Amino acid sequence: MATKETSKQLILGVYDNPDKVYSTTKKLIKGGYKIEDVYSPFAIHGLDRVMGIKRSRLSIAAFLFAMTGLSLAVTFQVYVSYIDWQMNIGGKPSLHIPTYIPITFELSILFTAFGMVTCFFIVNKLFWGKNADIMDPRVTDDLFIIAVDVKASKADMGALNQKLIDGGAIEVRERIKEL
Amino acid sequence: MSYESPIRDQLVTGGKTYSDVTRDITRPLENSPSKGWWIGFSLSTVTLALWIGATTYTVLVGLGAWGLNKTVGWAFDITNFVFWVGIGHAGTLISAVLLLFRQKWRMSINRSAEAMTIFAVICAASFILSHMGRPWVAYWPIPLPNAFGTLWVNFNSPLVWDVFAISTYFSVSLVFWYVGLIPDIATVRDRATTKARKFWYGFFAMGWTGSTRTWHRYEVISLILAGISTPLVLSVHSIVSMDFATSLVPGWHTTIFPPYFVAGAIFSGFGMVLTLLVIAREVMNYKDYITEAHLDAMAKVVMVTGTMVGMAYITEFFVAAYSGVEYEQYAFLNRAFGPYWWAYWTMMSCNLIAPQVFWSSKARTNPTVLFIMSIIVNIGMWFERFVIIVTSLHRDFIPANWAMYTPTITEVTILIGSFGLFFFLFFLFIKFLPSINMAEVKSIIPTHAHEDEHQHHGHSHELATEKGVLHGN
Repeated sequence: MATKETSKQLILGVYDNPDKVYSTTKKLIKGGYKIEDVYSPFAIHGLDRVMGIKRSRLSIAAFLFAMTGLSLAVTFQVYVSYIDWQMNIGGKPSLHIPTYIPITFELSILFTAFGMVTCFFIVNKLFWGKNADIMDPRVTDDLFIIAVDVKASKADMGALNQKLIDGGAIEVRERIKEL
Repeated sequence: MSYESPIRDQLVTGGKTYSDVTRDITRPLENSPSKGWWIGFSLSTVTLALWIGATTYTVLVGLGAWGLNKTVGWAFDITNFVFWVGIGHAGTLISAVLLLFRQKWRMSINRSAEAMTIFAVICAASFILSHMGRPWVAYWPIPLPNAFGTLWVNFNSPLVWDVFAISTYFSVSLVFWYVGLIPDIATVRDRATTKARKFWYGFFAMGWTGSTRTWHRYEVISLILAGISTPLVLSVHSIVSMDFATSLVPGWHTTIFPPYFVAGAIFSGFGMVLTLLVIAREVMNYKDYITEAHLDAMAKVVMVTGTMVGMAYITEFFVAAYSGVEYEQYAFLNRAFGPYWWAYWTMMSCNLIAPQVFWSSKARTNPTVLFIMSIIVNIGMWFERFVIIVTSLHRDFIPANWAMYTPTITEVTILIGSFGLFFFLFFLFIKFLPSINMAEVKSIIPTHAHEDEHQHHGHSHELATEKGVLHGN
């Protein structure tokens, strides 16, 4: 069993324009570099596809949570108003599916929203009070950073610097990321 | 980063760069508040005190403090509740429905509209609590196994549906709002110069790094949240309308209530959004973000929904006449020409007639006209609920029971005070949170705004064009 790595060596290319980040990332990946991640102040459309990020399964999670909410709501309402204690209010039936629809709908939505967002926090390891491991404080302002994983890249690392600069980087630096 | 069609006007004007956006929007958070903010905040605190006073008085004395009588058992309280819930609909509508329709102009206004939603629902909930008379037993509509025998709530009752609808709406809106805030809170965290700001924004930013993997998932959940919030918005006001529509009271027992209430909610919500944003763009100098094009778009929504609501008023009249039910017919004649005629015609003129000024594009882009209109819309929609509730109840089936309803000072104070509660929360929000979604606004800024600064990278414009064509949206 290989010993687990405790840190990763990254080369960071700092950019000020998302278009340059997009095209540089594309070129680097074609050239065999392993992109650890790209950090940006907003979502760059299409970049996730270029980086080969698989479509998130959070939508499946959302569906499962919706179904959980739905079945719990139906079960509970049927149990309460039909099985546990029937009430005669104006002679109306105790087991009356159409009147269960609004609450079932609301609970499905409630479960979906909370379940999915909780999963989102878990897969991204986001939690209250977490110390952010940011590449640069300006990455949430106006800078974009391409982080290349040095070890995992199967390409010439000597040329990387030049490639990042040719792509329009305003700065290139090295960083060790603790895992 | 999106492909800009040359035909359309830019959504953000003034040639802003990304750092301009950050600086402009974090300015109120990082500096001591302006005089205008203090005046507004103090006024709303005083008004909030009125609300606390009048609500406390009601709780201590009981519902006898209100002008209710045996015939009119629901009046100001439920009017205010429906009014505030309606206002709470624009926020989620703007963020969710406009996201699904890819309307990018939503991006500068969705944050404050969502905040408005949350605060409006808080105001609405306060009326639910106080109208119970005994707020300490407010948990009774929740289906809990209880000490009163095996007695559960009645799931056939729309009032129970409402409990679920409003609480789901509130919590899902809160989640939607918070998820949207995380990247912006991280921006404030990374700029923080004081220890307290670093700690608190750092705490709520949840360790956000701006990683593309996170952004990818973020976009997925935003889309799904929008997708589920859209039917949620529609369902909430439909259920509120069923509180009335499933009863047998003439004037309430109408099948068009759900769509009619939803249109009214959007109408009143956009009215309140206009009230807030017309002021905010002046006071906070956000004219480059909330442009005339935004005002124009909102005014169009106001006009369309106002006309839909007006159409519903007329349809109700027609249906009452056509149904041949004399109680129904009387209820509507009484509304328009009975003792509360003034309320009916205030509603008609504010909601149907007044918004027609927005056929003129000059009116749609004139902040003064918009502000006055937004107040008219707010008044009109408050009267709509008053008309529906009070005029339908006050002359019931037995003429011996006929009664008039007049609000007491306590009720009026609670209504005015609820605006205090709303604005108190809103002023805190604009002081402590970025009131425009920075991340989204940055994504719609043309990338060539940055090219001008860095002319030496001559080749990237070409790339931008290529990307625009390939992934443009």
